Amino acid sequence: MAAYAFATVGNILALTGDVDMFQTEQTFSGGVFHHSIPNGRAGADIIVTPVELLARTQGDGSKLFSLKLSECQLELGGASGRMVFCRNTDSSLTIFCEERGFPAALSSASFGALDDRFRELRSLQRSQNSRQWFWVSISLLLIAVVCAGLYFGTLAAAQVAVRSLPISVDEKIGQMASVSMAPGIPLAEQHSATVLVRDIVEHLRPYSAIPDMDFRVVVIQDEQVNAFALPGGRIYVYTGLIRHAENAEQVAGVLAHEMAHATLRHGLQKVSQSLGIVVAMQFMVGDVGGLIAFGSQVAQESVLTSYSRAAETEADLEGARMLHTAGIDPAAMGEFFEIMKHEHEELPAILSWISTHPQHDDRISEIRRFRDSLPAAQYRPLQLSLDDAKRDIGQQ
Amino acid sequence: MKTEIRNRPAFANLLVEMQPGDRFVAEAGAMASMSSGVTLSTRWNGGFLNAVLRRIFAGETLFMNEYLAETAGHVVLTQPLPGDMIEMPLRGNTMYLQPGAFIAAEPGIQLGVSWAGIKSLISGEGLFRLKVSGQGRVWFGAYGAIFSREIQGELIVDSGHLVAYEPTVGIRPGLAGGIFSSFFGGEGVVIRVSGQGRIYMQSRSFNGLAAWVNSHL
Ligand SMILES: [Zn+2]
Repeated sequence: MAAYAFATVGNILALTGDVDMFQTEQTFSGGVFHHSIPNGRAGADIIVTPVELLARTQGDGSKLFSLKLSECQLELGGASGRMVFCRNTDSSLTIFCEERGFPAALSSASFGALDDRFRELRSLQRSQNSRQWFWVSISLLLIAVVCAGLYFGTLAAAQVAVRSLPISVDEKIGQMASVSMAPGIPLAEQHSATVLVRDIVEHLRPYSAIPDMDFRVVVIQDEQVNAFALPGGRIYVYTGLIRHAENAEQVAGVLAHEMAHATLRHGLQKVSQSLGIVVAMQFMVGDVGGLIAFGSQVAQESVLTSYSRAAETEADLEGARMLHTAGIDPAAMGEFFEIMKHEHEELPAILSWISTHPQHDDRISEIRRFRDSLPAAQYRPLQLSLDDAKRDIGQQ
Repeated sequence: MKTEIRNRPAFANLLVEMQPGDRFVAEAGAMASMSSGVTLSTRWNGGFLNAVLRRIFAGETLFMNEYLAETAGHVVLTQPLPGDMIEMPLRGNTMYLQPGAFIAAEPGIQLGVSWAGIKSLISGEGLFRLKVSGQGRVWFGAYGAIFSREIQGELIVDSGHLVAYEPTVGIRPGLAGGIFSSFFGGEGVVIRVSGQGRIYMQSRSFNGLAAWVNSHL
């Protein structure tokens, strides 16, 4: 055995760095195909010697098979792609093994005689693999395209469906949201602040896109500078917003923007988008229980009060149009944004409206551009004062 | 331990007649009836991690039931889908089973999860497979009839019909026809099986059942 070791030193070094040179016989676990074995196959311990491959089947009736290395016809394959098959000349006996050290052991035992064949098989496998991966990538791409198509298809269909739904659907969603969101303590209906906001909304109502929408005003005793509209026309205004406004026109600017969200049905669109995602996920994943739970959670928190940038711009422009036709200068809207921007540094925590309505400079300039494009009009100041409301808020 | 697969092929069930001291493991939930002299203990087969992996990736239940005969008796095992069962003797060789196919094995059999790879996933056969190896008999089931084929060269099998295969055969995804007919002609992805070794196929596919049920909902 020592003689073999010396004779193969050069080859071993050339092939792998970690073959134990003093162990010329190595044992691996693999298997044998041969007709003499019941069922034609069995697992086997494989011994690689410099002359032959020996395979001893395991268990009862253990048999020993021998295959001369000089006769060995190599193949590479199997489920892993690493299975090495050695067949005799008439293919009646096959010894196979996928252990990592097996190819190196075969190579060194055969003094490198099998190396060329190994190289050939590996390069064949590589080219097959890359071809395979090419097709796999193409298929995955196709699947992705189909999924994306379905996703955007559902979204578009949802948008169309939303427009055909009656306003009562918006009202129902708004009613559910008002219960689940429980925004805080409302001021009394007769409170001067509630009366003021209601007067402004009623002033704007005839000029909104849906004048018979069920606009309802709730003023919340809260120092946050915040206002939002729920689907169906419920409008919430926080006392902090009234306190920071300089005049009724600025409040009207915010209210016009929020009323526009309701008449443009942004809330319903948002819900339908989430539903579109659910439907698409259902198609792709098959199970959406967790996603629905997550989605309903989100719906309670912010889905209905924070909109996309496009929706915000849309609400700005529709709000500006409403103000303009109501005889109020749309510039008031921009003014209020300016105030909020300037106070942002001092009162970051309470400026909730900013968190859902960012990008002030863009929005202010957008409103200004829109205002300039409108036909010249004689704007009249609102005959409403914030003084009573501000005083009564302070006393609470 | 004498066994018999009865009511083949549509509603196959496995009758195991046990002598005192006989034992075997089976998929939890497979037992339909058993004698009072047989004790049943539930354990992680192959350790906790392996059991969890098998549960998550190979669709098998988290636990294995081990049946031990204290006096002579019998156990009857069934499978959830109507179909055939087959007994496969292992002599130190290895077999890969599709998720959910495994029913029972003799004590000399080791069960493990093995990574089947992206190609297997695309072939519709899952990312993981159950690996059974060792000495003894393994029973597995299928949806519909089971037939086996000794592979020499290449064979094309419809996706979802491959139940078990040896590690000596390679499987890779292929398209039934061109891209267009594959996606719109209903055959879609097929499996190209190549090499030397035995594969087991089922005559029906679960995907086919799911599609049929979906179309009737
Ligand atoms: Zn807004």
